[in-house]
Amino acid sequence: MKKLFVFLMVIVFAMLTTKAFARDSILIGFTTSLTGKLNAESKAQLQGLQMWANNVNKNGGIYVKSLGKKLPVSLKYYDDESNKERVQQLYVRLINNDKVDFLISPYSSDLTATAAIIAQQYGKIIISTGAAADDIFAKGFSVVYQMYTPASRYLTGALDMLKKHDPKAKKVAIIYEQSEFAKAVCDAAKAYAQKNGFNVVMFEAYTPNTTDFSAFLNKMSSSKPDALIGGGHFADGETLAKQVYEQKIPLKLISLIVAPAVPKFKEIGEAALYVTAPSQWEPEVSYSQENAKKLKLSYYGPSVKWFTDTYINTYHQEPGYHAAGGFASALVIQKAIEETGTLDSNKIKQALDRMNIVTFYGQIKFAQGKYHGLQIGHEMVYLQWLKSDNKLVKEIVWPTLAANAKLVFPYSTKFKK
Amino acid sequence: MQKGYTLYWLLPALIVAIIYPILTDNVMLRETIFLILLSITLSVSLNIIMGYTGYVSFGHIVYYGIGAYTSFYLMYAYKLNLVVSILIGGVFASLVAFILGQAVLSLRGAIFAIATIGINEAVKSLISNIPFLGSAMGLYFDFSIYENYGGAIKAIWLSYYLMGILTVFSVVSAYCIKKSKFGLGLFSIREDQDASSVLGIKTKLYKSIAYAISAFFPAIAGGIFAFKSGNIEPSGAFNLVKSIEMIVMVMLGGYGSIAGSALGALIYEKINGVLVVLPYVKDLHLAVSGLILLIIVQFAPGGIVGLLTKYFKNLRKVLE
Repeated sequence: MKKLFVFLMVIVFAMLTTKAFARDSILIGFTTSLTGKLNAESKAQLQGLQMWANNVNKNGGIYVKSLGKKLPVSLKYYDDESNKERVQQLYVRLINNDKVDFLISPYSSDLTATAAIIAQQYGKIIISTGAAADDIFAKGFSVVYQMYTPASRYLTGALDMLKKHDPKAKKVAIIYEQSEFAKAVCDAAKAYAQKNGFNVVMFEAYTPNTTDFSAFLNKMSSSKPDALIGGGHFADGETLAKQVYEQKIPLKLISLIVAPAVPKFKEIGEAALYVTAPSQWEPEVSYSQENAKKLKLSYYGPSVKWFTDTYINTYHQEPGYHAAGGFASALVIQKAIEETGTLDSNKIKQALDRMNIVTFYGQIKFAQGKYHGLQIGHEMVYLQWLKSDNKLVKEIVWPTLAANAKLVFPYSTKFKK
Repeated sequence: MQKGYTLYWLLPALIVAIIYPILTDNVMLRETIFLILLSITLSVSLNIIMGYTGYVSFGHIVYYGIGAYTSFYLMYAYKLNLVVSILIGGVFASLVAFILGQAVLSLRGAIFAIATIGINEAVKSLISNIPFLGSAMGLYFDFSIYENYGGAIKAIWLSYYLMGILTVFSVVSAYCIKKSKFGLGLFSIREDQDASSVLGIKTKLYKSIAYAISAFFPAIAGGIFAFKSGNIEPSGAFNLVKSIEMIVMVMLGGYGSIAGSALGALIYEKINGVLVVLPYVKDLHLAVSGLILLIIVQFAPGGIVGLLTKYFKNLRKVLE
């Protein structure tokens, strides 16, 4: 009996010591909303991360120079139930119990901000993959890095696009849904427009689920704007685009968030034609080695085609920007590990601070100084619904680094047919 | 009302649970117990209006949100001290509850429940449109705010101590109310409002005071949580799901009983907490916890306390 006890103790001790001393994988921890209101977006993000891990492990792992070997990666994640209370508890667990090497944020800005407090407290690097709020990055965090283009730059590209195609265009109307995100985006767009010499002739919010925009459009028509920007969610955005078409409002540019980026948008037929929309990423983007060269930047990771094809083969659906953001956030950690050859948080942090690369997801560069970690390299891409073989297709028209088609300008061209 | 023994075991148990992570410096346990204490506070305080007077407040989370927003804003904009801010938040939410109570407490049953949901949604919508409160995107703390409390690590411990004190205070208050003449009046309203009115009880005033008190504790809890989480936004602060969870906790433990509310919160939070990290039920944990709750409620409609006192009559005094 005594012998058996000693034997067991030896085995337990041996297991504990191996676990403590021999590093057998790189552990990436995060929470994801498997349940709750953020479930759909989180699922896509998780799939992107899982695809990254599978791909890395298929190639034997990430080479860590200081250890002289390739280490596989593993993902440790919990369901945060889309709930802030749960997020902090689980991030403390990931850091203290699971001893993860790096953290990735949950989906959404408020869950990310909550997780960031814990990450900062323990000095653990956290890549914020699904958070577009700017505010988090003006709050003194030094270990939080953002992958999404911040909300303040969601619709600013539309104004740049307008300026480039018609320098004389001055009047802009902003109509948006009274929702958390749309308001933040449109407030920032308004400020940007005014700063760049545009005249915001209308700035009005509509209640969610609005089905009749005639009052807004009548008011807008009287001020004869060059462009209409705004929107909110799918149903209202679709209706807004449809009613602009029905009233044949002679706009030069129309750019709405969310709705036109959804493939179902084409069901409104002619009304969808030439409508543009910002997106974090689309399968049609043309980020490539060659484009990176033009910017004198290095390209890292798989191609857009590889990502899109592998995602479709794995999950039998087209990837959206949530999935691409998930994959890309782990990809920057991989790049930093390969570059520094260590898993040391300080060195990885330095690598992230100086990172300026192009990936399938676009350019990635983080701000330093006051807004440390804010994404400043990645641009929103603008898609436009165009006609090809008499079918409506969405193509990327802005910025030039990502574009695969030319913007049809002005929007009102279609009324002249 | 007969004097029971609830506090003799519930208080020591609570204090031991609160002190344990402090003595062992176990941060993981601290996070878990923090959530349990938060749930106990919410459940015990909802029980004051729901269990004592029979008014099922479906949107009680509104006071959590009001308290959280008030204190967060005071800290954010005026750099006011945490304790002062959360106390102001608590008092302000109580005041709002007292005023709103004048309007909604004359409603009964389902209509009252619906009205409380309406209040929550209206306040949420209102705050989403107030620019200085960050509108729908909410407000974010500057991380350096924690420096005033000795750094983030100490600040998070501070919020834990405060939550501990709040929970003890809410349990003791709920007990004192229950055993007081005022509490007796509330129970009589629950049993027959018209009869108690005939007997000379100022039902409207009693209900309003109970409603205001039941709003005070969630408001303070909201303030502490917002400080700890570092940001606040309407969808999280006025989350209707949380309201429903509060009701489930009270029902699970036992309607009207303090020990029941506390046990209900403990069990509900524990079930969720354990299932959420169990790898085998990763995608199914909510379904499993729902099933467990269904079984408990099905076989013990009076909650855990109801079940225990049914089979063990002697426990009645212990759990009252």
